[in-house]
Parts: sequence; structure tokens; C-alpha cells
Amino acid sequence: MKVTVERADLLKSLSHVHRVVERRNTIPILANVLIRAEKSRLSFKATDLDLEVVETIAAEIGQPGVTTVPAHMFYEIVRKLPEGTQVIVESSGDRAVLTIRAGRSRFTLQTLPESDFPDLAAGDMPHKFTLPSADLKRLINKTQFAISTEETRYYLNGIYLHTSGSGKNLKLRAVATDGHRLAQVDFDAPAGADGMPGIIVPRKTVVEVQRLIEDTDGEVTVELSPAKIRFTVGEVVLTSKLIDGTFPDYGRVIPVGNDKTLEVEKAEFEKAVDRVSTVSSERGRAVKLSLSNGKLTLSVTNPDSGSATEELEVTYEADPIDIGFNSRYLLDIAAQIEGETAVLRLADPGSPTLIEEKVAKGALYVLMPMRV
Amino acid sequence: MPVRQLEPGIINRIAAGEVVERPASVVKELVENALDAGATRVDILTDGGGRRLIRITDDGAGMTRDDLALSVERHATSKLPDDDLMAISTLGFRGEALPSIGSVARLAIVTRHAGEPHAWAIGVDAGVKSDVKPAALSEGTRVEVRDLFYATPARLKFLKADRTESEAIRDVVRRLAMSRPDVAFTLAGEERAPVTWASHGAAALSGVSGRLARLGDILGSDFRENAVEVAGGRDGLHIEGYAGLPTFSRANSLSQYLFVNGRSVRDKLLVGAVRGAYADYLPRDRYPVVALFVTLDARELDVNVHPAKTEVRFRDAGLVRSLIVRSLQEALGRDSSRAATTGGSATISALRPNSASMPSRRNWDWRVSPARGGLSSVAMGATALAGLAEAAQAAFDVGAPSADARLNSIEATPDLIDKPLGAARAQVHETYIVSQTRDGIVVVDQHAAHERLVYERMKAALEKTGVARQILLIPEIVELDEADVGRLTERADELARYGLVLEAFGPGAVAVRETPSMLGEMDAGAFVRDLAEHMAEWSEALPLERRLMHVAATMACHGSVRAGRRLKPEEMNALLREMEVTPNSGQCNHGRPTYVELKLSDIERLFGRK
Repeated sequence: MKVTVERADLLKSLSHVHRVVERRNTIPILANVLIRAEKSRLSFKATDLDLEVVETIAAEIGQPGVTTVPAHMFYEIVRKLPEGTQVIVESSGDRAVLTIRAGRSRFTLQTLPESDFPDLAAGDMPHKFTLPSADLKRLINKTQFAISTEETRYYLNGIYLHTSGSGKNLKLRAVATDGHRLAQVDFDAPAGADGMPGIIVPRKTVVEVQRLIEDTDGEVTVELSPAKIRFTVGEVVLTSKLIDGTFPDYGRVIPVGNDKTLEVEKAEFEKAVDRVSTVSSERGRAVKLSLSNGKLTLSVTNPDSGSATEELEVTYEADPIDIGFNSRYLLDIAAQIEGETAVLRLADPGSPTLIEEKVAKGALYVLMPMRV
Repeated sequence: MPVRQLEPGIINRIAAGEVVERPASVVKELVENALDAGATRVDILTDGGGRRLIRITDDGAGMTRDDLALSVERHATSKLPDDDLMAISTLGFRGEALPSIGSVARLAIVTRHAGEPHAWAIGVDAGVKSDVKPAALSEGTRVEVRDLFYATPARLKFLKADRTESEAIRDVVRRLAMSRPDVAFTLAGEERAPVTWASHGAAALSGVSGRLARLGDILGSDFRENAVEVAGGRDGLHIEGYAGLPTFSRANSLSQYLFVNGRSVRDKLLVGAVRGAYADYLPRDRYPVVALFVTLDARELDVNVHPAKTEVRFRDAGLVRSLIVRSLQEALGRDSSRAATTGGSATISALRPNSASMPSRRNWDWRVSPARGGLSSVAMGATALAGLAEAAQAAFDVGAPSADARLNSIEATPDLIDKPLGAARAQVHETYIVSQTRDGIVVVDQHAAHERLVYERMKAALEKTGVARQILLIPEIVELDEADVGRLTERADELARYGLVLEAFGPGAVAVRETPSMLGEMDAGAFVRDLAEHMAEWSEALPLERRLMHVAATMACHGSVRAGRRLKPEEMNALLREMEVTPNSGQCNHGRPTYVELKLSDIERLFGRK
């Protein structure tokens, strides 16, 4: 194999690909990136067995070939090469090394045979649709914070993606919950989403996709089967296994009869919660919301340090109520509320509270209270 | 004050101060006499921690009337037939024990020699001998020592509690019994239940199986399962015995039993060699369990160092040391991925419910299992006192806990299950790998195991490439004793291999020119002084190696899979397979086991099925 490529191109794609590779591995080949050169294209592939990223860039192929080298080291080398240089990557068949030359620098890296490199074997992906990357960003942002990290409920360790409604009202819906809070966001279903199975996209995949679409504003192509999902963003193709499990019937968790309605200025509320929670302890982050006619009092009492209260003018006409929430959860949700006003629908201090935007944008949040 | 010759009684009492330190030393001397007399059975009975009574009965050769009368005289012995102190083949030889004991206690001896028509008895009371009288005894010798130290009240005051003294006696008898599996021992007394170690036959002395059987009798059956056989020899020097697995270690060195030509010793050279051999397996504060028997030509050995003969000198100390280290390492390396079986049984005893602990676990209630508690019946600590308990976060019903389902997709194929560490079936708490073997389950600590693998790889690399050395801008001059300088420069080549280059700098100093770069900026002066001190005592450069390995271990720790990392089934199986082929993977760098195996029979026991 012999390839000549711009350092900047090489660096950009390696920076996408090497992130997937775990730093510490029990299987040596998983530390490597697969390099394939053919037909004036150079492609890189990295995997952690659950997730696979392939990126293809243009390059001048002197001689086609394929090999694998340690991903992090290759990335570090390219990163430190002088800007604007041409990089020549070369391997000969008889020695298990890859030579990297740029300017006056020369590196040789030990390679492992590409035949050992695991393949995710994507198989048939019967469902395919495209989404504007802005929508996908919004979808991830609004749900990601609620993904559970608890390994005993493995099926909650991702975002549940499925369709709801039918015909013209068909929606693409994303849901995440950790048992304390739940986030749900709806979009008009893109063409091709109809009939897709409900799938759970693992957290690591969500994070990687989020990074990939960070600085693009084009379209993202999504293909999926009941076991795998594939995102194509420009030249980058990310394929991932899905979580093999059944997402709980989350609909039962979303309250419908909550009759106490609180309307509050979102920015003001967020700052006030943040302020009073300063005195709360590391262990208990409870903040108490005391509601009476037109007034919300936020208070935190920490037996070890002190207490804090703050009053807010709000729209509230129902019976007075005291209810506690984890302040961090309130802040997580408030950060995702769009528009100026948030609506909280409460029932009693022991039941779930529904949080929405006053001008509905398709997102809703459910939060369980704390006993204070 | 004029100079005068001391009375024989006084001389004996002074000698007794060295030979008879405490009741346990009386037992040692008398049992050694019995063994030297060719006994096949020795019964020991003590009372009051040996202070009130010590009675040793054997079935040895016995003594004739004349021998008996002479035996209680100072420097009288039947041993040393050629008066050759260079070749001592018996346990005793100094002819001091009986008169010494007789001078500080009430000693009574009854003995029957085959050539005599009946037995004879003699008594010595605080140095005063009685006449030899006829007595009744069918064979052997019975020695009784009563009221030990009554004639030297000062010594009596220095004795410890009865319990401590009787413990010391037990230790002495255990050591003697270990060295002679062919002899039956009984240890009885008011303060203990009688213990009998049956003879394992005359062949036991040469065969290792007899040795192991006796060691198992004494050290418990755990030792039998967790020891590897040690054997080695060169130039007439033989080492055999058993070495405990590193994971079967102890917090003190009391369980190290070292024998030279059948004599139990506490010799610095041997202790140091054992430590050196285990240096890579155990942290500094853990001690291995070993029973080592060194045999060599009596001419190569000087046992006449100390009256109690617990110290010896070897003519070729270096050979003894290197042979012990090599034999031990070879034995440990042979079975190196084994972890102690006691891990499993300790788990069993920790798991087994017992009547004492059950009621105390009142907090446990199946109704608050995380799998329960629906949305409507919000699971909250409603009874918790306000202000005291942490506020409880309510939760939705999100279904029952379920582990990662993917593992089921990997078949536990028979060929995987037949491997020593089996087929990975699950990872729990993102820290432990549970795998299934043909006859049980194995729980692996993923971080500890991977750390050891990385460490072993790093060590192999160091061996191949050598230790990189940093040249010092200004050589560090370290002032030392002349003897220390000699010791250091003598082994300069060995030190250089570990990255420390030094040379003599005048008679009383060394110049350190290069240091191991792995150790970073080090205080070479203090380090070299430590090293010299250690080498003076142990004649080895262990601290340097140990320190390098410590750095390597730290690097390995950072370079290995952490607890909390979710492993895929393929990764788990890869880890298990590598553990099987890597030496020393049974324990982590801190001497803890990297895995615990539970046999099916253990699990069945746990559930009372067996």
C-alpha cells in the first residue's frame, strides 16, 4: 500500500474515528484502526465491537492495500505533524509495519493483520429515512440527560426511538428515562420512518452521533433494522448495535389528570433554583417548592450548613401545595425548555409532575418528586 | 577480689541460662535426645505451661546403668563418636542439656537398655544427684522435669503466662514433628486436648508424599491444597518441601518452617532467600507459608553457632541462597495461574447464613426489592424521620432489573467451558466477570487480572530491553562504610543491569553516575545507603528491583482495564484466555487473588443440597 494524503484531511477523519477506540483493551486488535486504500479513496474504520465508524477521504493512491495500526498513536502522530504537509503512508507486504512520512519526519508503526479486524456485519437495513441534522441535534439534546446509567436496567441505557400516531399525525418519538425523570420529544415523521420497529440506541452511540453532527448542518441519513442502526453524515458512516431489550410502557408514567397548573418564567426559575441549591449538600439536593396563590417559594435546608429561600411571582390559582424536587433534575429540564414560559402540572407531593413548554414544541418531561 | 574456679553447680546453672531458656527449650532438648536415640514414638506431656511438669516418653534405645549415671554429668554425651565437630550427624552434641536441666529443676530419668535386665532410674534435684536405682520400664526412656527453674527464681520471674509458654512448646513440637514424619508424636497436657500425629512410615523421610501428609496434619488441609512441591539440588545440596501459593499468604512470618539437615532453624540467610523468591508475588507486609528441608553434607555446615542451634552457617552461603530462590521460583512458576482454593471456601463461609446473623439483617425485606413498587404506590421511605433521613427520591415503575441480554447470544460452547477459567457468562457491577467452567463458576476481578497481565508484559519487555538509565550531570557522591563500598562495587554489574551505575570514589564513598530513568528524580544518596544496608544484611539487591517493579506495577495499574468498564463478551473471553497462559496471573500485584473459583460442590453445600 502506498498513499499520499493531505495532513488536514487525514487529521479530521482520524479525529472522528479514533474516539471510538477504547484506550485499554483486552483484545489487541481493538486498539487499532483499519486503513483501506483503493480507487483514489482512503478509508478508516474503528470499532469497539458495539459501534463502528468508517470515514472515507480522497487521497492519491499509489498502490492499493489494507492494514491496521494503533489508532491513538496514529492520530497523535498526524496531529503533531507540521500543518500543510503531505503525508505519505506506505506498507510493504513482507514486513508488518506501516511507514508514515511527512517532510523530514518518518515513523514506523507495527501493524496487525486486517483479517483479525472484527466486522460488525451490518446485514440488511430495511428502514431508511433522512433528517435535518438540526432536528437530530434537538432530539438528542432533549432526551440524552435522562438516559439511565444503572446497569441493572440495561434497556434504559439509551434513547428509545419509535413512531407514534398514524397517517398525517405520524410522529417520530424519542424517549429516555432513568426512573426518576422522563423526557419525550416528537417530530413529524420523515418519509420512510413508517413501519420502523421501536429501537433503543445506546448511550455511547448517542454521544458519538452528537459529536459527528456538532458542526454540520446538512442531512443525516438513518438506516435501521431491529438489531442495528446506521447514521451517515457526509463521508462518515457510524454503525451501531442496538440495545437488545424491551423499553417499558412509558405511557403509563405520563400523568394526565394533574389539575394544579403553575406557569413560571423559565429563565428566572432556573436562576432561582440554582441560587438556593448552593446551600444543599452533596448527598441530598432537594429543593422545596411551596405554592400559594400567585407565589412560589423555593427553599433548601441543609442541616450541615444552613438554608436558603427565594420567592417568585408566578401564575398559580389552585390550592396551596408543598412539593420537593431534586434541584439538579429541575435544572436539567429547565435547560431544555424552549420559549419564555414553563408549565408545571402538579397533582400531589407524592405523584409525578408534568413539565411542558407553554408554546408546545413537541417535548414533555415527567419528574418524580422528593420527600422533603 | 581474687580469681577463683567456679563451683560445678554454678557452672551448670550458668550454662542452663543459655540452653534452657524457657520450658519450650527443655522440650526441644529432650525430644531431640529421643530422636537421636532412634525413637519411633515420642509422647510429650506438659502441665502448667511446662513449668510444673514436662514428661517425655520414647521407645528409643535407652541407656545402660553406667551411661545413665554419666549422662547427667556436664559435657558427657553418647553422640560425636569420632570427636569430629566438623561432621555432626545428630541433633545434639554438646552434652549440656541434661546437667543444665538438672541444675535448675527436679529431673527424673527412667531408662531401659536392651542389654540390661531391668530399667534404671536416676534423679537430679537442683544439681544434687541421687544414686542410680532399679526401676520398672519395658523399653525406651522416660524423662520427667518438675518445677522447672525452682532453683533459679530470677528466671522463673521472666517466664510468660502459662498459655504463652504452652503455645511455645506446641510450636517446638510442631517443628520437630514436621522434620520427622516417620516418628509418631503425641502432645498432651492439662491445658490442651491431646494431639497425635501418626507415623507415616519409615519411607516417609525420603518420599515427599509422607512429608506432605505430615505437613497437612500440622498446618491443616488447606495447606495441602494450596502448596506446590519444591525440589532442587546441586553439588550435594538438596532442597525439598512445599511452598504455599502467594494468595495463601499470612500477615506474619510465623508460618515459615525451615529445616537444615532435619534441624529447625530460624536462619537469616534462609528467611532472606524465601523473601527474595516471593518478592514479585507478595507485598512487603505479607509472608508466604513454606516448609523447606535443606539437606547437605554435614561438613558443609556449622551448627555450633549457638547453644540452641537455631542459627547455622553454610560454607557456601551463595549456593544455598541461589538454589532456594531458584527452586522456589521454579515451583511457583509451574503452577502460577493458580489462586488459593481458600478463596472459594472463604466465600462459602461468608455466604452461608447462620442463626446468629440472620435476625440482624432485619433491613432486608423482599417488599422493597427494587423490582417492585409501582407508580401509584410511590416507593418512599414514608416512615423515615423528617430531618434525619435523607430525602427520598421517588421513582416510576420502569420494569424489573435485567442484565445485559447480549451474553446469552454467545454460546457457552463446550470447548470454552472445558478451559480452566471457563466461558464468560456475565459481567456484574461492571467489575467482576462470572464465567462457567465444567464443574463450577469462576468470578474474576477484571481490573486486578488485567493489571497483572499488563505488568507481566511490562516485566518481560524490561528484561528484553534493559532498564533505561539517566546520566547525572553531577555524580552523586555518597559516603559509606568501607565495607559497604566494597559490597556495592562488588555487585556493580548487577546494579547496572537495573539501571544504577556507581563506582568506588576513594575508600569511603561511591559515586553514583547513572540512575534508572523509571524512578524519575530520586534521592540517590538515601537510596544507595538503604541499598547498602540491605545488602549488608541480606546480601541481595532486592530494594532496587522491588522499587523498579513497584513503578512498573503503578504503570500497569494505569494501563489496564478499570473496574466500572463494561466489557463485551468477546473481551471477557479474551481476558480469561490470556490469564490462562500468563504466568503468575492468579494474584494481582498486591498479592490478592485475581479470581475465585466456586466448585459446584461448594455451591451445593451452600444450598444444603449435600
